[in-house]
Amino acid sequence: MAINVTKLEMTLQEFVANVGNVQGAAIVSPDGLSLASSLAPGMDDERVAAMSAAMLSLGERIGRELNRGEIERILVEGQKGYGILTSCTEEAVFLVLTDRNAKLGIINLEIKNVIEELRKQLLGLAQPIGL
Amino acid sequence: MEPLGFMETIMRRVQLSAEDKDLLVKEADWGKNVALQMADIFYDYLGRDEEMNAILNAKEGRIHRLRETFTEWFHEMFTGIDGWSKAYADSRWKIGLVHVRIGIGPQHVVPAMAVVVTAVRQQLRRDQKSEALSDALSKICMIDLAFIEQAHAQVLSEALFKETGWTQALFQRLIAKGAETV
Repeated sequence: MAINVTKLEMTLQEFVANVGNVQGAAIVSPDGLSLASSLAPGMDDERVAAMSAAMLSLGERIGRELNRGEIERILVEGQKGYGILTSCTEEAVFLVLTDRNAKLGIINLEIKNVIEELRKQLLGLAQPIGL
Repeated sequence: MEPLGFMETIMRRVQLSAEDKDLLVKEADWGKNVALQMADIFYDYLGRDEEMNAILNAKEGRIHRLRETFTEWFHEMFTGIDGWSKAYADSRWKIGLVHVRIGIGPQHVVPAMAVVVTAVRQQLRRDQKSEALSDALSKICMIDLAFIEQAHAQVLSEALFKETGWTQALFQRLIAKGAETV
C-alpha cells in the first residue's frame, strides 16, 4: 500500500498539538529528505531534514564505535529546549522538538506511542483514512 | 568511481577530438624529447614553493621517483597509452590517488598544471609546432587535472562516509544547504 502523506502530516500535527511542550516534529529519510513535517514557522524544512539525518547517522556510528549497542534515541539539549531523534523505520527518522520545560520521560513515552502509528503508515500497514 | 566513464565524460566536456588525438600521437617523439626539460621546469617551480618543497622531499628518493613519473606521464599524454581508453584512464586515476596519499591537493596541482601548460606552449612555439597541437595538449592536461581533483574529492568524501555513515545524497544535500548560507 502507498504511503499516505496527508495522513502522516495529520499524525504529526496531532502529536505536536496534543503533547505538551512539543514545538515541532518531522519524519525524514536517511538521505536527509523531508517525508512529512509539522514545524514552527520560519524553520527550514529541508535544512531540518538534512541535519536530522546527519545527526542520527553520526550518532549510530558513534554508538557502534563506542560499543553502546543499538542506538534508541539521540538527544540534543539546548538552552531553549530539546531535539530528540529516533529511528522510525530503516527508511525514516523521527525528529521531535520540545521547549525547555518538557519532561523527558513523558516525551519519550509519547514518542514511543506515536512511532508505532508512524511505522504502520510508513510500512503501508495502516487503515486508509475514512475506514 | 569508474575511471573510464569519468574520462569519457571529461573528454566530451573539453571537446577532445579524434584529430586532437591523431596530432598528439604523431608528435609523441617530440613529447618524449622535451619531457625531461619540462620536468626541470616543473620541479624548479615546485621547489620554490615552501609547502610543496617539503612534501616533495619528505622521503628520501621521492623527488627522484616523481621526476621519473613526470617524464613518463608527459610522454603518455602524447601516446594516450591505449588510445585514451581503459589503461589511460586507470593510470590517471592511480596518479590521482598517489597525489592524495602524499598530500598534494588541488591547491598545489592546479597552479602546477598551469606552469606545465605555459612551459609546453612556449616550447611548442620555439619548435614552431602548430597551435592545434598546443590546444590538444592543453585539453589532455585538463583531463589529467580533472582526475587528480576527482581523486582528491572522492578520497575525502569516502573517508567521511565511512566515519559518519552518511550517504552521498545526504552529504550533497548538506553541502547544498550549507552553501546557501555562505
